[in-house]
Amino acid sequence: MSKAKGAPVPRRPLHFIGIVLALVIIGAYFLLPFVIQPERGPSTVAVLTESKKANELGLFKTGLEVIPLAALGILLLGIWNVIAPAAERAISLLMSVAGLLVIVFYINFFRDYAADEATFINSLDIAFWVMLAAGVLAVLQVFIPRAAPEERYRITKLFGNQESIILFGLLLLIFLIGIANPRFLQERNISDILQGNAYIAVAALGMTMVIVTGNIDISVGSLIGLLAVISGRLVVSGVPSPLAWLAPLFVGAGIGAFIGFLVAYLRIPSIVVTLGMLSIIKGILIIWTGGERVTDMPADYHLSQMRPLGIPMPIIIMVALTIAVALWMRYSATGRAFYALGGNAEAARLSGLSRRRLLMTVFTLNGVFVGVASVMYSTQFQIIQVTPPPALELSVITASVVGGVSILGGTGTAVGSTLATLLLNFIRSAMIFINVSPFWLKAVQGLLILATVLADLIRRRRQRL
Amino acid sequence: MKRTLAITLILALLLALVSMPLSADGHERWDGADDLAVNPLACGMGDEMMDEGDDMEEEMEMMEYDGGMAAMGDMDMAGMDIVVVDVPKLIGIGYFAATTLGQQQAAEELGNVSVSTDGPTDANIDDQIQVIDSYITQGVDGILFAANDPVAIAPVLRKTLESGIHVVGYDANSEPDAREWFVNQAEFNGIGKALIDSLVSQKGADASFGIVTSTFTTPNQARWVAEMWAYADKCFSDLDWLETLEAQEDAGLSFQQAQTLINKYGEDLDGIIALTSVATPASADAVNQAGVCEDVAVTGLGLPNAMRPYISSGCVQEVYLWNPVDLGYAAVYVLRAVVDGEFKPGDSSVMAGRLGELMVVNGSEVLLGPPFAFTAENVDDFDF
Amino acid sequence: MQETQNPRNPTASEKLQRLLISQEGVLFLIMLVSVLFLATRTDKFLTIDNLLQQGRFMTEIGLIAIPMTYIIITGGIDLSVGSILGLTAIVLGWTWQELGFPLELAIITGIVSGTVAGFINGLFIVRVGVPPLIMTLATLALYRGLAEGISEARSARGYPEWFFQLGQGEFLGIPSQLWLLIVAVVIFGIILARTRLGRALYAIGNNETGARFSGLTVNRHLLFIYAFSGFMSAVAGYIFVSRVSTTRSDMGTGIELDVIAAVVLGGTSIFGGTGSIPGTMIGVVLIQLLKNGLVLAGVTSDATIVVIGSVLIFAILVNNFIQRRSGES
Repeated sequence: MSKAKGAPVPRRPLHFIGIVLALVIIGAYFLLPFVIQPERGPSTVAVLTESKKANELGLFKTGLEVIPLAALGILLLGIWNVIAPAAERAISLLMSVAGLLVIVFYINFFRDYAADEATFINSLDIAFWVMLAAGVLAVLQVFIPRAAPEERYRITKLFGNQESIILFGLLLLIFLIGIANPRFLQERNISDILQGNAYIAVAALGMTMVIVTGNIDISVGSLIGLLAVISGRLVVSGVPSPLAWLAPLFVGAGIGAFIGFLVAYLRIPSIVVTLGMLSIIKGILIIWTGGERVTDMPADYHLSQMRPLGIPMPIIIMVALTIAVALWMRYSATGRAFYALGGNAEAARLSGLSRRRLLMTVFTLNGVFVGVASVMYSTQFQIIQVTPPPALELSVITASVVGGVSILGGTGTAVGSTLATLLLNFIRSAMIFINVSPFWLKAVQGLLILATVLADLIRRRRQRL
Repeated sequence: MKRTLAITLILALLLALVSMPLSADGHERWDGADDLAVNPLACGMGDEMMDEGDDMEEEMEMMEYDGGMAAMGDMDMAGMDIVVVDVPKLIGIGYFAATTLGQQQAAEELGNVSVSTDGPTDANIDDQIQVIDSYITQGVDGILFAANDPVAIAPVLRKTLESGIHVVGYDANSEPDAREWFVNQAEFNGIGKALIDSLVSQKGADASFGIVTSTFTTPNQARWVAEMWAYADKCFSDLDWLETLEAQEDAGLSFQQAQTLINKYGEDLDGIIALTSVATPASADAVNQAGVCEDVAVTGLGLPNAMRPYISSGCVQEVYLWNPVDLGYAAVYVLRAVVDGEFKPGDSSVMAGRLGELMVVNGSEVLLGPPFAFTAENVDDFDF
Repeated sequence: MQETQNPRNPTASEKLQRLLISQEGVLFLIMLVSVLFLATRTDKFLTIDNLLQQGRFMTEIGLIAIPMTYIIITGGIDLSVGSILGLTAIVLGWTWQELGFPLELAIITGIVSGTVAGFINGLFIVRVGVPPLIMTLATLALYRGLAEGISEARSARGYPEWFFQLGQGEFLGIPSQLWLLIVAVVIFGIILARTRLGRALYAIGNNETGARFSGLTVNRHLLFIYAFSGFMSAVAGYIFVSRVSTTRSDMGTGIELDVIAAVVLGGTSIFGGTGSIPGTMIGVVLIQLLKNGLVLAGVTSDATIVVIGSVLIFAILVNNFIQRRSGES
């Protein structure tokens, strides 16, 4: 790709588009009449808001703050553009995102308008059309061809890896949904979503390591169920809580080591081993418990309900483990060897890494992480349900994979997988907050998963060029 | 390439926006019951429940027996030892562990019935069909079932009847002609009325509430929602039905969905009605942990053991359920009576051991009784 | 079981020996042992009626296992088959009941939409380069979601009598759908073993880049097998609806793991390059017979899945061992 390195980009009229658009929107917002009301005549948005409050109509319940915010964003971007013309492509992209926010406002407006049959609006006035046109222009300007920018201004530097794409998606989601329904943003809701899914994130950390080595573990769902019941039954039988928390880690490590042994020494593909283990563990769990749930755990058992320093325990565990795994995989010899193993098993062998020992390590570690996840799961409620959530293994694998772990091994990070777990579960909750028809929830979720994966793929393809 | 990235991002955003046209009005009532007829009970609270029961009987006497008949075997099995297999929706959950317990109690009392429980390990319609089919081949004398789907299970049950095996359902019905009798734990309209009445008595006739159900396609839950809807329409039209959320039979998901309702509607939420024995304690836990026991009333279907902590602490006033142990117990007694020829089409009642006389309703259903309310006064008297 | 031809015309006993130690041969022996064992435990198991009935039950998994074998041979995977099955069922029922299509047209619409769903998988995998596992993991959620959304949790029932012929009827004393499975197995088994298309799939699985350079239209082949997978899942969906006489949006949930288990049990390597239709079918039959035979022998379902899981691991273990031994000698 050609780089216009060092060549100064001349300032052109195009570079002022942001400032112009922003001023138009802001001016129209505060000065020009937006609608014509039967009683007050032509009214700006501000007046409309006032009369809406007075009328106590449900109009404009959402999206009102978007226009000035987006306009402010476009203004800042426009100023930046004038100062640094070389960054114009990156800026134009961000500007189109801001333009989309304006359009979001209009969509919301129309929804309210249609829903309430706004009787106190006679007709739409000039500002309505001006602002709409400006918003559309802000979106469309991204398609105007521009010179290739300097390397350091590349927007893709910002999205150079899957983590930042997911983080960006997560923030955007929270922002958009927050506009549509401000209640989504309340601290309790965010913290509830984080807490409720932290155990999936922890299991996904183990899964990430397994997948990085080019393997997979389908048995995690059943294993979480089994370990949770072991932990619960131990504590009910009188074992002190800390020991009951540790037991699943050891049992999990043992089962993980067994899987690792079959994979590493007997050379059975991991998908076969874990597919078999999935039904073996599930069967044993049902035979053993007969479906009787575990209840009457002592009060000090509920690790997941503790809040040291006011922060819920699951969030602490999730963040701490994510950081630990991220550092370990990047800086330890074993961690780097996992990548080597997944990236090129032959090269890894030649470099003196014992494939067998690495596989044993990774599956044992995965067992430990599943153990931690199961404790977080079992200490969440007053009762432990024997049957684990259906298709839990698919949620865990999806999180890892969306987090940028290549299923062929060799790439992927802990941070990405945790962020992906959060993104997927924020999506699920967010869809409810914006009243997506419950029947279409899953379809929208599927589309968004696909979109995330595509975004990552296009990034990779770009980087390969 | 940059263009592609830009377009992708815009696409992703548009996808998010696409969800808006798909939006349902939050107030839209959901009813997954395939438009089956609803039959709301008369308005009124509490004690009138029993009177309603009487009305129903009069109404039901007019209905003819609409169940099937097992093919006649060469042998009259009356009084002889029989082997019965129980095929619940799935094995490995607390609710069906309780029905199994009741069946074993009945088998022990009768002495001439041996019951074993076997079923799919997931609530999967096809696995259940295959299990039943295998037991036809194995040759048992009777099959008890709780159907994952009323229509899908019908062909294999008809085959069971043709093979001369007696078939009695409990908990979840099939098409009537595919089995002989169905032991109905409580009528759909009775549950619907009880839950709405419970909510109204706690939060008034203009309360706003959300529902946490298993899945939209689960027949029992769908019928309960439909009956709640019909009853609320008839008696408490000011009730504000906010939203119905799916939570499988998953404690974690139920907990999160209840949290979502609490967070989404805030002070507008007066009550949560939970329709599975998993979702009710999970919803109570969510309300408890959010510290809104005073503001949000949780009611629904729940087992006393699971609900005891919340009822004792006063966070939950009452939940409803039949006794699943009794349900399994009654199913075995009904099957025994059918085999012995003591319970025939057209009969209006059947004797079921310690439960006494159970009435026949809807042609071919044996009614266990009205749903039972577990409250702070009585919750400690039960252990299941 | 078609091994490559040996130039020096092997004798019959050598042929037999090679057959016995082939993947399929070993698996077949394992199946024979299990069947004989089960037959000694109960006399209800080894009867024509029971076996035919099991044939009826395994048809859906068997049909989907064919394209799954193709796909896994190329080194890919398709996790969305269960969701495509559900989507097909819903489209079939919905177009018939809600849109008033004639039932024949509804069946065709259902199968076409299933094929399109598979084609979309292939399109993204080939044109955009999404790894198959990720693509089908996403469409696993998406297609199931579409099924739920379209159906709005309603089920379509009350089909006319002729509709049940395929799922519940018999033809010449054998369950109708089993004929379909047999024909499909023969045709697609031969295609895989004897035609250029089959050899191309192995070539792609062994070395995709190499296959590309040697002039194979890799993309077109991949596109075809994913669409084929959608088509077979759709046919299985139609048979399933015909067998259980109703549609529900959760039909076929989890079937992908059953299918994959059967395929890998049948000796298809998950890394691609090896595998055969006969092997896959032995896998399908073995799992089905174990499920049924163990119940007849008085083992409950919870213990049955433990046995099936163990057999899966054990069979691969034994096969690995024998293949390595025979490779060394």
